[in-house]
Amino acid sequence: MAKATNKPIITSEQISDAYIDYVLTHNESPKSVYDFAKKLDITEAEFYNYFASFIAIEKSVWASLTLEAADKIKEQEIWPQYSSREKILSFFYSYIELLKTKRSFIIYSLKKHAKKLSAPEVLSAVKPIFENFAEDIIQEGLDSGELAQRKYFTKRYKDGLWMQFLFIVNFWSEDDSNDFEKTDEAIEKGINVVFDLFQRSPIDNLFEYGKFLARNGKFKEKMGI
Amino acid sequence: MKLQESMPATKVERSAKFVKTGFQIGGNYIKHYSKKLFNPDLNRDELNEDNAADIYNSLSELKGSALKIAQMLSMDRNMLPKAYVNKFSQSQYNAPPLSGPLITRTFTKSFGKPPEKLFDTFNPVSTNAASIGQVHQATLKGKKLAVKVQYPGVAASISSDLKMVKPFAFRLLGVSEKELNIYIKEVEERLLEETDYKLEVRRSIEFSKACSGLKNIVFPTYYPDLSSDKIITMDWMEGLHLKEFLQTNPTQKLRNKIGQALWDFYNFQQHELKAVHADPHPGNFLITPDEKLTIIDFGCIKVIPEDFYNPFFNLVWNGLMNDKNASIDAFRKLELIQPNDTPRQIEFYYKSYKEMISLFALPYANKRFDFSKPKFFEDLYAWSDKITKMAEFKQPRGVKHFIYINRTNFGLYMILNDLMATVNTQTYKPVSANAY
Repeated sequence: MAKATNKPIITSEQISDAYIDYVLTHNESPKSVYDFAKKLDITEAEFYNYFASFIAIEKSVWASLTLEAADKIKEQEIWPQYSSREKILSFFYSYIELLKTKRSFIIYSLKKHAKKLSAPEVLSAVKPIFENFAEDIIQEGLDSGELAQRKYFTKRYKDGLWMQFLFIVNFWSEDDSNDFEKTDEAIEKGINVVFDLFQRSPIDNLFEYGKFLARNGKFKEKMGI
Repeated sequence: MKLQESMPATKVERSAKFVKTGFQIGGNYIKHYSKKLFNPDLNRDELNEDNAADIYNSLSELKGSALKIAQMLSMDRNMLPKAYVNKFSQSQYNAPPLSGPLITRTFTKSFGKPPEKLFDTFNPVSTNAASIGQVHQATLKGKKLAVKVQYPGVAASISSDLKMVKPFAFRLLGVSEKELNIYIKEVEERLLEETDYKLEVRRSIEFSKACSGLKNIVFPTYYPDLSSDKIITMDWMEGLHLKEFLQTNPTQKLRNKIGQALWDFYNFQQHELKAVHADPHPGNFLITPDEKLTIIDFGCIKVIPEDFYNPFFNLVWNGLMNDKNASIDAFRKLELIQPNDTPRQIEFYYKSYKEMISLFALPYANKRFDFSKPKFFEDLYAWSDKITKMAEFKQPRGVKHFIYINRTNFGLYMILNDLMATVNTQTYKPVSANAY
């Protein structure tokens, strides 16, 4: 206890800032938690109070950025007037803007943990946050009739958006256009395509019509037409 | 209002769009020739109509520079069969708009805050499309404003779009690639300038100041503080588009008044400023409730260099055409006659271009000119119809400046024709800086 009073208590932000600084300077993780804690002038135990491992720090950075974006967009005056489509668009634009503040780290983190087919491990904490957010918005869209309620598929809508999430983040990490203008286009077009698929479309009507004909075909036979 | 939900994104998608059009046009030709087998009298009107519809449909889905090209083609009515023109003219109005969050994003990038914080009110649904952007209504301190927002990535896609349009341009205009490149470059330069909204604001202010002495023309005020490279804020101008104006059945006197304002606007610029608003498509003009003309888009400015101005307008104005040697000399300067032309070619091109420039200069040759008379336009169409069929005109001739100068002046003539106006053509005369 006495010790804590002469030394300021370290916060999780300080640890994660120090970690980000370390990896960006050295382009690799610290050799060990012991080594890293020593540099920070804290004990290993203090480190573990906040994070279980280095990758846990990275996950938490991603998670807090995602939460921040989701919260921030809801503060916009125009938010309640947005359709589900616009809300998702708005999320991505804000998210990319936020990621920009930590671009070097984001790129480092994505590259280091890149996996060919599935999402990188650093995004494992982001996924439930984003999916929660997306599900709320999808539900709004379903309630308002903006999105089509479909057996089996409705549950998968959030997966479609998660795929877009991965695509957009990756696209942005490699975007070299002015002010990431190409990422803006990627968002605008990608999200619109996905929402076009979620909406009621001619295919739905065709399907409905098919069902109607199948049901009423028998009726026709009975009537002898 | 239906928002456009998808816009072909990448170069690949855009190419796919053009390829599809290519197939359709191919199909139209097949349809045409198979019909012709049974009906030899069938003329190409129907074919042209089919082609125009397909080209228009794909261009209008592309937006951005492709739409701009559709607009350009539609301006060159003198170069295109009538069926193309009618279809392309549609592209001069309302192309479908883009999403709200992207507008917010664009504002945040430029000003650090969303539009509803920058203005007292901002309508997120755009009132109309401006080919490379869209227009929103806003208010600030009781003033009604028009806010033009540019689509992202327009500048980047212009060059690649032009590359893809090229083969179609060759088909439509029947010219070869090598010869066309210099012209395509000229168009590309102008189009890229149009994506620079900061430049547009600067020019709009300069031009409206320079033209402020003209009668019956009003300009909106521009707000540089509320503008950026992607956003232009100016006064909202009340008024009717040309088509709507004509539907109100204006009196001949009013038609003449508006026509005169237009004539003065263009000729003042050409002859006094030697730089001209080179985008005379009807969507850029409004007729205000107090019967004045207003110009709402200064995106496309063509600066007219002396070495083009002098030979060209000397021909048009000073009756130089009757002096054969002087004319040939001017034609050489304008590259209408080229160094290695044979004497027979020189004779031929001299005659043809004399005919064209005499036609072009006809309004200047009289004190007043009645643009409602169809004869003048029929002659123009007939001339361009004739030359498109001639092998001698397969390769384009003339310096690159002709593109925008022709577009501007023929565009002006077309609008005056639509207005059925009679104007005094002597108000701003060509200035022959020095006889050459």
